[in-house]
Amino acid sequence: MNLISVCINHHTAPVDARESLFLQEEEIRNFIGEIKGRFLAEGLVISTCNRTEIYGLPSNHNINSQSIQNFLLQYKDRQTFNGEYFQHFFSRPAIEHLFSVAAGIDSLLIGDNQIFKQVKESIEISEETHFTGFLTRRIFDAAIKAGKRAISETEISEGAVTVSYAAVQLIEKILSALGKKSALVIGAGETGEIAAKHLVERGIGKLAITNRTNERAERLAQKLNGRVIPFTNFKDSLHEYDVVISATSADNLIITRKDIETVMRKRNNASLVLMDIAVPRDIDPATSGLDYVFYHDIDSLNIIVEQNLEKRKKEIPKVKAIIEEEINNFLNWYNSLEVAPTIKTLRDHFEAIRHEEVEKNVNKFSKEDREKLDIVTKRIINKILHYPTVELKKNNEINPSPDESAMRISIIRELFGIDKNEKEERK
Amino acid sequence: MYPFIDFLNNFLPFLYIITFGAYSFDFIKTGKRRFEFARLSLFTTLLLHLIYLFSRTAEFNHPPITNVFEIFTILAFSVCFSYFILELVTDIRGTGPFIIIISIIFQVISTLFIEDLAEVKEVLRSNLLGSHVFTALLGYSGITISAVYGFLYLILYKDIKLSRFGLVFNKLPSLEVLEKLSFYSAIIGFVLLTIAMTIGVIWLPKAFPDFSYSDPKLISSALVWILYGLGIISKVLGKWRGKKVVVLSIVGFILALMSTMLSNFVAQSFHSFY
Repeated sequence: MNLISVCINHHTAPVDARESLFLQEEEIRNFIGEIKGRFLAEGLVISTCNRTEIYGLPSNHNINSQSIQNFLLQYKDRQTFNGEYFQHFFSRPAIEHLFSVAAGIDSLLIGDNQIFKQVKESIEISEETHFTGFLTRRIFDAAIKAGKRAISETEISEGAVTVSYAAVQLIEKILSALGKKSALVIGAGETGEIAAKHLVERGIGKLAITNRTNERAERLAQKLNGRVIPFTNFKDSLHEYDVVISATSADNLIITRKDIETVMRKRNNASLVLMDIAVPRDIDPATSGLDYVFYHDIDSLNIIVEQNLEKRKKEIPKVKAIIEEEINNFLNWYNSLEVAPTIKTLRDHFEAIRHEEVEKNVNKFSKEDREKLDIVTKRIINKILHYPTVELKKNNEINPSPDESAMRISIIRELFGIDKNEKEERK
Repeated sequence: MYPFIDFLNNFLPFLYIITFGAYSFDFIKTGKRRFEFARLSLFTTLLLHLIYLFSRTAEFNHPPITNVFEIFTILAFSVCFSYFILELVTDIRGTGPFIIIISIIFQVISTLFIEDLAEVKEVLRSNLLGSHVFTALLGYSGITISAVYGFLYLILYKDIKLSRFGLVFNKLPSLEVLEKLSFYSAIIGFVLLTIAMTIGVIWLPKAFPDFSYSDPKLISSALVWILYGLGIISKVLGKWRGKKVVVLSIVGFILALMSTMLSNFVAQSFHSFY
């Protein structure tokens, strides 16, 4: 298996280096257009904020992963780039690396679901740009299967591993039926936006956003189907919300204990969740002393994040076992695609059928005819198999691309159900 | 029949302990198969317990409500049965061990001290007494479950307030769900106690010549009833919520437990059957 890969990722390179080689979707398509045929016959390009990785089958024997790396640097105009930032894999390690990426165990946030989606999207781009072939398609399918199994069969993606998601999970531990609850997000910056998105994903009933710059709040509210409250008087309606998430860049507290005391009186002590994910903090920590007020800041949310990351780390061996299994499945299939063993298996397969039928019907023939029956049936089988055998042997002689050769053999194996029979025999 | 009843009597605590173990295992290490096994174990335990109760009734020719240890085995059954229904209806997970442990306590005491009484007072064979005791026991099961959920609410409330995100935090349902479960169980318990007390007040004076309204069991039951009534009204009117309501539920349960102990072991009254 001559799959090669060249990778730059968060293990090997600092963020600025990764950023400089990041490829937008359109760039990936163009890049594939440049390398297809010239360097790789078929392959895959994955590019996220944490990694840019290229996998593929070389289009000729002179191409190796270094050639691809050089071309990528040339393409991004980074010829002076530090070569040590790259990892190179060949054959099984390349497959193993791709599967680990898809299963999320190579991610910065272990078990990150996002990377699985990104790998799937990258494969779709390869399909759309006709950059996939018979072999790579099979590898990518196996990678997706490994990723799916890791998510469904282990707890590698369980629990919140970001502060904003931990905040939402904690809210769900306090309140039930979020669809009947209302939330206010203070601050429409990146953190506030992510928290608001998580709330919407979890089905929050009503969402309101307030921000010092009203336009920004309006943009986010429009995106998430929420409403905007003017920042100048948001405290007047604070009691209407069951959840308040604050993520502003204010230097001082914007909500005091006194504010919350007033709110709780107006709410008749109905539970209020305050999530302060701003640094420095926006909400007075003294509010945590009030009954039915659940105040949490970034430190306490980080406890949840750390615990979940620890749990995910413990799942890595299980994911590795899945990856190992999927690699073995793939390689078993791949190794079966050799000419000589295929011819032998094909002949054995037909001989078994012939033998079974002769045995079944042998009593219908006289003793003298039985030998003839054997000879005639063998001759029929030989004639049937003559052409496929010649075609298979041609495979070695004309030396087509590995992809084409594998495809031919695979079609024959599938057509005659050889793999199926072998699997049943193994069982 | 006796050996079979004795066998089940001795076997039931072990069944409850196995079920408790299965639910505890699922609590610590959640898994679909573990949960299914726990549920199956609970179902089997309840089925065998039901067979035991019917066998006793048939063998001794009276429902097992004639002494406190017979009542304890019914309580063990009804607490777990109520929980089983609750689990099926709400699909709630993570609270099983806390309920089943109550049944274990009741069943172990019952198994150790229960006697095979074939001869009981004629009054104890009455159908009205059966209805009175049956509704009262289901009512007590309701308030027992309410107290357990109330207790879990308090633990989780404290854990969340103190940012302690351990096993309890990870496995229990949300605070609001625990509060609801505690409240709804209390309502069911209150309604059934109301029925039990109504039957009692109508029937008891006729059945017992020494009946007295100053009977300690009657007074303490009335107190428990008033307490739950006040709690439920306050909650419905929105005056009380959360901690206050669950604390009231726990206090009501302790009071109910003490009143049973008091009337059966300390005070001598028509309510003492043992």
